[in-house]
Amino acid sequence: MSKQLITALLLIICSFPSQSAEPPTRVASINLCTDQLLLMLADSRQIASISYLAVESSSSFMAEEAQQYQVNHEKIEELLSLKPDLILASEYSNRALIQLMQKLGHQVETFPLPSDIEGIQANITRMAQLLGQEKRGQQLVEQMNQRIDQVIKQQPAVHPKAIFYQPNHYTSGRNTLQDTALRVAGWRNLAAELGIEGYNPIDIEDLLMADPEQLFTSPYAPNSNSLAEQQLSHPALQRVTAGRKMIEIDYKYWICGGPMIADAIEQLHRSLPQ
Amino acid sequence: MKQPLALTQKQLISGLSLILAALFLLSLFVGSNPIPLFQAARDTLLDTPSVIALIFSEVRLPRALIALFTGATLGLCGAAMQGLLRNPLASPGLIGSASGAALGAVCMLYFGMSAATTMALPAGGIIGALAATMLVYLLAGRDAGTLTLILAGVAINALALALISLLLNLAPSPYAVREIVLWMMGSIANHSMDDFQIMLPGVLLGWFLLIGTGRSLDALTLGEETTTTMGISLSRLRWRIFFAIALAVGSAISITGSIGFIGLVVPHLLRPLVDHQPSRLLLASAIGGAILLLAADICVRLFPAGTDIKVGVLTSLVGAPFFLYLIIKSRRFVL
Repeated sequence: MSKQLITALLLIICSFPSQSAEPPTRVASINLCTDQLLLMLADSRQIASISYLAVESSSSFMAEEAQQYQVNHEKIEELLSLKPDLILASEYSNRALIQLMQKLGHQVETFPLPSDIEGIQANITRMAQLLGQEKRGQQLVEQMNQRIDQVIKQQPAVHPKAIFYQPNHYTSGRNTLQDTALRVAGWRNLAAELGIEGYNPIDIEDLLMADPEQLFTSPYAPNSNSLAEQQLSHPALQRVTAGRKMIEIDYKYWICGGPMIADAIEQLHRSLPQ
Repeated sequence: MKQPLALTQKQLISGLSLILAALFLLSLFVGSNPIPLFQAARDTLLDTPSVIALIFSEVRLPRALIALFTGATLGLCGAAMQGLLRNPLASPGLIGSASGAALGAVCMLYFGMSAATTMALPAGGIIGALAATMLVYLLAGRDAGTLTLILAGVAINALALALISLLLNLAPSPYAVREIVLWMMGSIANHSMDDFQIMLPGVLLGWFLLIGTGRSLDALTLGEETTTTMGISLSRLRWRIFFAIALAVGSAISITGSIGFIGLVVPHLLRPLVDHQPSRLLLASAIGGAILLLAADICVRLFPAGTDIKVGVLTSLVGAPFFLYLIIKSRRFVL
């Protein structure tokens, strides 16, 4: 074997790790949550494609910025034709699709759905590292922390009782973004105090017995009709809060954990009784 | 020839009414939280009602009232339909009135019409019930045998249920698909006083139309020709009963979803007690239907919290074996 060939082979082998350390230039995201972080952190030339949900203004916080990119529908053919060098997915994305893409030699990174501020910070930092945009990531985390600290400084003397109530009687108990946001903003979350874990239904009698002072809701589809959504206009709900109306917080702040949690926290803080 | 079981109408009605009153009270007591009921009832009169008063007046009272009125409607309409068609298997559930009503209500609710006016929902139910009932009647023909009527009913039921699934899959609301089971099995949980007020006018109007039909139905047991010679217009009677059933069943089902088998089972159970007289059966079946649905709803609430069993599941569990028993019994007659 000639010396030249060995050197060439060594060179090729050594070039692999250094190549993957280069920031990716064709990133495809197949999940709304990774779409939004990608749009916040990447240069526009790094983005190859985002999921179709990213352009919908009711669910996506970054809908406006997303308009200029090609959308995908989480389909294998679309992804292959994009020739991505990095694929971003959530832990709940289609398993079979992810495994297939990995088998075909693509780098796939899955992100967990965070339920607290620390989880959001970790996701932002990791995404920034993957994209080679550490500085932008750090800035984003700092901005978010600053806004949240501002709210924490202005805590009310008494924390009023609140609860989230969604169509189909769902509420947000412990270990949810809503629970975190409520408590940071200066409310008590009755669902967590009743021992509800995660997103689960609550009996309307239990809800009334807990005697909330304020109800919050974030319905998926504000302008549609169903029995599930009718539950929100149950007359008892308005009477138990002494006529105080249920407050709607846009769904796009929580569907994915991201720095937009600060918007939701500020909104919850502003709605504290004066 | 009196059967040993036969009671006087007064005894029967007062006995059934007592059971009904007891179940109604019990229904107010049963819930996920024990509340002092009498204090709660007193508190509803206060300017700022307490939490227990809210649970009493806005959660438990509407639930009990809706169960009472829906059950009574289904029992009464089952008795009227069996009398009119002189067919032991006729009932709002089997003939398609109930699923037609659910289809009409689904059209109105998920596609925005009921947001415009609250009366659109029962109107949809009434039109759906009337259309389905008429369709079955026309399909089966005027002097249809039991089998033909049931077959026509099965066909229309299947069509209505398929259309409900289709519409709920196409509905703009992301929650719609999960509600298919609710419309097919029926549920009286989580309703408000507003819902009760929405169903009330149609239900009362339907009952009112049925009140005077007892004597004609009695005459009808002697055969259609005899009835006509007695000066009763059969086609007018038929229209009156179909229309009344559409009004009452349509309004009730548009709130609760299609609850099965009450209209079939209750008149059958009570018929021997009223000496097989359709006129006496009407009131007894109304009270009996209310008893059955209230009892089923109380049972549903006794399941541990979180198991969201629809009341229609329970009535069907009771009703379906009874239906089979009726079929076996009618087979024995044929053989």
